Parts: sequence; C-alpha cells; structure tokens
Amino acid sequence: MRIDSHLQKVGKLNALRGRLDPDADFEVWFWATMTLGTHAVNAALHHCGATLEDDAFATQPGVYLIAGQDGQLESALRSLGDVLHVGRPKVETPVPPDVSAMMQAMEVIEHHRDPCIRGEREPTPAIARECDQAIAQVLALLHARLGKTVP
Amino acid sequence: MSPEEHRAKAEKVERSLAKLGPDDYEMAIEGAMLAGTHWLNRALHLQGASSADDDVLHTYMLTVNALRKLRVVDAARVDALTEIEDIRPPFVRGDFPGGQDAARRSLELLARIRSGA
Repeated sequence: MRIDSHLQKVGKLNALRGRLDPDADFEVWFWATMTLGTHAVNAALHHCGATLEDDAFATQPGVYLIAGQDGQLESALRSLGDVLHVGRPKVETPVPPDVSAMMQAMEVIEHHRDPCIRGEREPTPAIARECDQAIAQVLALLHARLGKTVP
Repeated sequence: MSPEEHRAKAEKVERSLAKLGPDDYEMAIEGAMLAGTHWLNRALHLQGASSADDDVLHTYMLTVNALRKLRVVDAARVDALTEIEDIRPPFVRGDFPGGQDAARRSLELLARIRSGA
C-alpha cells in the first residue's frame, strides 16, 4: 500500500486504541495496536526502500490483491510489498537501524498475540503496559524517520 | 481451548465490537474474525470434529485435508469464517473503498457462525 494510506490507518487505529479499555477490551485493543504497528512498519520499510510501495494488498506471503482494468480486485504474485506481520515474510534486504528497532518493538507485541488472543493466557495490566510501551517506541521511531507526527 | 473458554473469549470480543462506530470498520472486521474463530472452534469441539488442543487459527492455514474434513462437519460456519478472512486484505491491510459495507457483511457472517454454537 502507499505510505500515506498506511499513515492514515496508523492515525485512525491509534485514535481507536484511546477509546478502548486495555483491560475490558484487551483483545480488540491489542489487535488495533498490532495492526497499526504493522502499518507503521510497512510505511517505514517503504520509506527506506526495503519493500515496494504499491497499490497492492497482501493476502499471503508473495500474493497480493491488485485492481484490474475493471476496478475489481484480482490475486497476483508480486515482489515484497507489505508484510502481513513483522517476520511474515522475513525482509531479506538489509534495513536501517531505526527500522530494525521498530521491527524488534513489534516482536514484543507479536509475542503476546497467540497466547493472549487465541490461547488461554489471561491478559494482565503488565502485558498491556508492555504493548503500550512498544507501540509508543514504534510510533516515535516512525515520526523521527518521517520528520513529522502522524495525526 | 475448551468450548466454554472459546465462548467466553468470543463474547468478550463482541462486547468490544459493540463500542465501535461505523468508521471503525477495520477492527469490526478483525473482531468478527477473532470472535468468529472462537465460535467456530467451540462448535467444532462440541461436534467432536476437533479437540480442545487442536484449534483452527485461520481456515487458510489448514491443510487441504483438514479443511475438507471440517467442511464435512460444519461447512456453513467454515465458509462464513473463510469469507470474513477474505474481507481482511482489501479493507484492513488495504485501503480499498467500501470498508463500512465490508464490516457490516463481516458482522452478518459472525452472527451466522455464532447462531446455535
């Protein structure tokens, strides 16, 4: 996707996070956090030239939806554009240290995904705080890279 | 995860979904996927098609054999979750127009998966 569109998603989902309760709404709060962080990382990866900025929507590694001549979406094999999650697929191109730090912070969040959302681990305030700190780091690094604050 | 734990998780996600507005379509779609997956797993466990330690994460991550087997047992729910999963790339990961309609459709599909589960 285009960087501007990623940034719109980041701003929108971050605003939603603020309206949800990290305890009572943990699952959706967490998922919004993870999704906006992935958009932030994709924007940074495009910005540094490691992945392709393109009007293509990732469905699985290597497969993207693109609009055909008639405007309908069609599946196609493409070079690496957006990643689905940090690490899926792995970005083989070397990335700058700030983008690498963003991806490491996202791993902190991703670590809690399956146990807390799919599994039986009870989310705790400490886990929510850890995710909060990680996404703050992701956004700070994004803002520094872009030289502007995402609204 | 046990059927009762799946139900509790699904209902918690649905309580959060009730707080979303029409413009929050990304998380409406994602929440429908998360709650729908819990309802599907509950239904599959109760029908004896899968065990508590063998949850579906995403239908597209199942082997073809497993997908065929689960569709024999509960094709309506499996297909409904598959449709929600297919809605995600253009509207959650992407910026394709029509997100609010896609969210409404996802929530309809979630209701279909939940019904009788």
